[in-house]
Amino acid sequence: MKKYTVINTPVHNIDGIAKITGRAEYAFDIQLPHMLHGKILRSSYPHAKILNINTRKAEGLSGVKAVVTGKETLGVKQGIWRRFKELCDEEILARSKVRYIGEPVAAVAAVDEDTAEEALDLIEVEYEPLPGVFEPLEAIKEGAPQLHDHAERNINVTRHIEWGDVDEGFKEADHIREDWFRCSSQHHVCMETHNAVASYSLDKKLTVWTSTQSHYYIQVLLSWVLGLRENDIRVISRYTGGGFGSKFELDSAQFCSSLLSMKLFRPVKITLTREEEFMATKRRTPMFYYLRTGVKKDGTFIAKEGRVFTEGGAYTSMGATALYLTGFFQAFPYVWPSYRYDGYRVYTNTAPTSAMRGFGAPQATFCAETQIDLIANDLGIDPVEIRRKNAMYPGYEVPGQATIQSCGLTQCLDKIEDWIQSRGKLPPNRGIGIAAYGFMSGGIFNWFDTPYAFSSAVIQINIDGKVDLYVGSQDMGQGSNTTMTMICAEELGVRVEDIRLHMGDTENCPVDLGAWGSRETLMQGNAVKMAAAKAKQQIIEYAAAKLSPNIVYDLDIKDQWIHLIARPERGLSYFDVVKEAIRGKGGQPIIARGHYTPHRKGMISPAYSFGVQAVEAEVDPDTGKITLKNCVTAHDCGQVINPIGVEGQLEGAMAMAAGYGFTEDLPMDEGKILNPNLVDYKVLRATEMPETKVIEVETYEPEGPFGAKEAGEGLTNPTAGALSNAVFHAAGVSIKNLPITPEKVLEALREKKKKKSK
Amino acid sequence: MIQDFVYSRAKTVKEALDLLEKYKDDYKIICGGQSLLILMRQGLVAPANLIDIKGVEELNYIKFKPKGGLKIGAVTTHSEIQKSSLIKKHYPVLIDMEENLASVQTRNWGTIGGNLSHGDPAGDPGPVFIALNATVKMANKERERSIPLEEFFIDYFETALEEGELLLEVQLPVVPPKTATAYEKFNIIKNDQGIVSVAASITLDSRGSTCTDARIALGAAASTPIRARKAEKLLIGQRLDDGLLEKIGKKASQEADPVADIHASEEYRKYLVKALTKRMVKKAWERAKIIARKGGL
Amino acid sequence: MEKRLLHITVNNETHELYVEPKRLLVEVLRDELGLTGTKRGCNTGACSACTVLLNGLPVKSCSVLAMQADGTEITTVEGLADGGKLSPIQRSFLDHGAYQCGFCTSGMLMSATALLKESPKPAKEQIIEAIHGNICRCTGYNSIIRAIKAVAEGKYKEEE
Repeated sequence: MKKYTVINTPVHNIDGIAKITGRAEYAFDIQLPHMLHGKILRSSYPHAKILNINTRKAEGLSGVKAVVTGKETLGVKQGIWRRFKELCDEEILARSKVRYIGEPVAAVAAVDEDTAEEALDLIEVEYEPLPGVFEPLEAIKEGAPQLHDHAERNINVTRHIEWGDVDEGFKEADHIREDWFRCSSQHHVCMETHNAVASYSLDKKLTVWTSTQSHYYIQVLLSWVLGLRENDIRVISRYTGGGFGSKFELDSAQFCSSLLSMKLFRPVKITLTREEEFMATKRRTPMFYYLRTGVKKDGTFIAKEGRVFTEGGAYTSMGATALYLTGFFQAFPYVWPSYRYDGYRVYTNTAPTSAMRGFGAPQATFCAETQIDLIANDLGIDPVEIRRKNAMYPGYEVPGQATIQSCGLTQCLDKIEDWIQSRGKLPPNRGIGIAAYGFMSGGIFNWFDTPYAFSSAVIQINIDGKVDLYVGSQDMGQGSNTTMTMICAEELGVRVEDIRLHMGDTENCPVDLGAWGSRETLMQGNAVKMAAAKAKQQIIEYAAAKLSPNIVYDLDIKDQWIHLIARPERGLSYFDVVKEAIRGKGGQPIIARGHYTPHRKGMISPAYSFGVQAVEAEVDPDTGKITLKNCVTAHDCGQVINPIGVEGQLEGAMAMAAGYGFTEDLPMDEGKILNPNLVDYKVLRATEMPETKVIEVETYEPEGPFGAKEAGEGLTNPTAGALSNAVFHAAGVSIKNLPITPEKVLEALREKKKKKSK
Repeated sequence: MIQDFVYSRAKTVKEALDLLEKYKDDYKIICGGQSLLILMRQGLVAPANLIDIKGVEELNYIKFKPKGGLKIGAVTTHSEIQKSSLIKKHYPVLIDMEENLASVQTRNWGTIGGNLSHGDPAGDPGPVFIALNATVKMANKERERSIPLEEFFIDYFETALEEGELLLEVQLPVVPPKTATAYEKFNIIKNDQGIVSVAASITLDSRGSTCTDARIALGAAASTPIRARKAEKLLIGQRLDDGLLEKIGKKASQEADPVADIHASEEYRKYLVKALTKRMVKKAWERAKIIARKGGL
Repeated sequence: MEKRLLHITVNNETHELYVEPKRLLVEVLRDELGLTGTKRGCNTGACSACTVLLNGLPVKSCSVLAMQADGTEITTVEGLADGGKLSPIQRSFLDHGAYQCGFCTSGMLMSATALLKESPKPAKEQIIEAIHGNICRCTGYNSIIRAIKAVAEGKYKEEE
């Protein structure tokens, strides 16, 4: 018998019709009467004092309506880590100093974009250039240029994680390896660039249409920087054209359009160009990684020590979280008797580094998994075997950090092992590499300092049985709208088409912290499930009164049918009971609320997804070029809610993670990004995708709705490591410096040849 | 953003040449605009006058004569070349080239004349047409002239087109007997412009065993597409073997003069020239052998 | 700059507009005609989010001057569904979840529509070639390829 009626069945994405008919209106598409267009002037210096800004000529250009500079703002240093004021260091619109190329210094509103752009050239900024520093290991030296007054030696944040006795562990180890890695940056490349339409009305209320992963965060942060009452600000984001971690902080489009609108009492639209997007909207944190690992000769893991310096860029942003998570996930998904991690985030005069899908874990997994294969190779142990020997298991406690409840890692390893064996002998120049990962399902942290529950939901059932479901979650393509609808339908016992979802509008949606850290399915899902259960209870009370069954019988609702669980043929139509229930409530619709905030769930997350990915790659020995042939992933996301959605998330994560592994990079020259366009920044196209296969390993996670966990961010973790291992097995060279370009592979092959001939 | 310009449209070659004369002080010609519009949107190119020749249908043709060879009008799109059965039959390497060129959207609107006039040393048609011994015909109001394609490229984004001159046609001679051409470019993402590219044409003797003529053209390996003439010379009169391939690969790589950029170092580009030259010479040779055995052209 | 007269048929409706010669086709479609289904994702003609059909051929509307589209027939995503009926490729996209954030979707649909018109039964390589120009950051392309393949295999007929 099928376990669930709605859950884990193929359901059309509820935004599907809008998206495939071109009717979905993104903030990118918003046109309002009387709307002006804005453009932002950005610093061309990586480090400089702003001595003076003269906007007279720009203001005088025909068609220009207003120019704003930082001097006209409240000068708030804002940041997402609101509980830690020293980490709130970004004004967005710089007032006295610029710290990266691309930092906003002024903004213009004009009748059209071309005029606004012309006006930028007329703004005269007097800079006093300062020496800049661009690499964390340089910035941390004595005497290096200092970016922020409060940060000596440019040290922004440090993190330390430790358990067991690492030094004792190394003494016990039979084999110790030390490896250094360099993890590159990466850009989100959302197809919809950052944008906002801000409209400030004469009754002093601000409405902002924007592309965001968290309308709540944007509402609160705007309130802070603009000095407006939180709920005099309305943030609307019905459709978001991609996020991947780039869109839950306050950005320059939102801030500058709001400032201009507040000056003019007219809507102002700012859309970032793709170049601005690359230059000035934050990116994955580059990391310099040192790992020292000790194991027994049979492959048992004993001790690991990690030291990481991250390139922070000019501001804290979300970099503090990435610093912690990389240290935390460095020990995943294995049992480490002892572990020590020290992380240092260092300010540099480059674009700030922040959150990007995986949030420090892809970097950690790349380094850890590459090293594990090298250790396995050193000891002559099979790569699957060494991982299986040390794998996390249900019930494992990461000392002082987390309790692992559901964990299907070993089954994932088994499935991947089966697949590898099925491949048989590979053609020449080909190799299969694997990587195992684990990832969080939403964080327990409240550095944002919200007084609200992390997720809330409200349900209202109308006389015709139509369910209004209000959620705070944000769908940026990952499918949370459909997931929440399915969870509600399953719990309430109705069909997806009975539900009308309300989201993306702070004016009528309850608070949810947003779509980041893989939190929506677990946290918003739990809130929805709770609300649906309470609504169901109200309906069942009326049904029970009507049916008058023996007191020992339970009732439930499945597929619009309220029935005795033990005797399902005895029941009533959901629609009929709803009508009576509403009458019984004095004509009030049925209303129920749900919420979720993790309490006492360790230091990171209530639940963890797991998986193992195998990448089969071919290396061209003459050019070093890598071709992806196959990619198989066995993953455990607990209970799959939306199977079409999960498969899509897996394939998409793989493409993005593969890009991180071998094609995407943000080379810089003294803080200037050299490839700020989609010709020179290489994302995978349909031509580079290998055959993919998804193997679901089903577990049940008690913390998640119907046993569900995250799926979609964790899947970004393993590919770079699996790829480096595939190259290792195909060509005998281990590249520890991302991305794994053909030039690096060729260089390594030539080195290897030279060594051999000696 | 695009700067304002005066827009004129030509329907015939005569109209086009008249417009070039009229605006000779400051104009740009737009046809498919797949390269030009990007430059204009970034403000890198800002002509006062834009002359649109997309509608000059008389320059949209692909003609073949058994004696005269192939003539492609400048306004012919990449897609039209890709779909041409004439070209498939007589110059199949051009189909290979078009299949690996940009995207279908670009090929549907971008033209061969526009591509060559852009003068990008990393462009695909340059090396391939040079390997096929192409000639280009240009005209201004006074006269027409034809020059070998190799002489058409002067420097980065600079061609032999003078003020008031319009590229009219690319001409390819009939492929000599027992001759085949192969083309490959090296890129990370398929169809991207080559980090380097190599086109090789090999002609074999009557028995199909020694090389009697060779043309090797390199793309993205210098400031224009160039012939690796020294490497070519090493092939004449030789039989194919690995030693020969290694020799000509090395020589071609020495003749290359690439720059370093974010995608590849100079050294790696030279290395790629060597690897690709070896491959393309071998591929062309093997194709030519098959042709020689068939006894056909 | 003096505006020029543009005659253009979009989704079977004819329009007479005055536009500045420097206006791109995508700007006329989105800003003048309000057809915001066609998106823009870059400034270098690389992403193909702006793909429309011009006389049946997929082109990047950001890389075509509006004036060059004078006298042509344009089809945008808004023109795919006939009255209340989704086209076969649209239905297949729905069934296969061949979109996530949806921003590249209109471009993908136009490329797919053009392919299927020209080759009703394309092989996988042809499908990949047809959508090669379209960047998608969300799906990893495979669901899109599956959706197009399903139409190619005859699983979706035009609705009566």
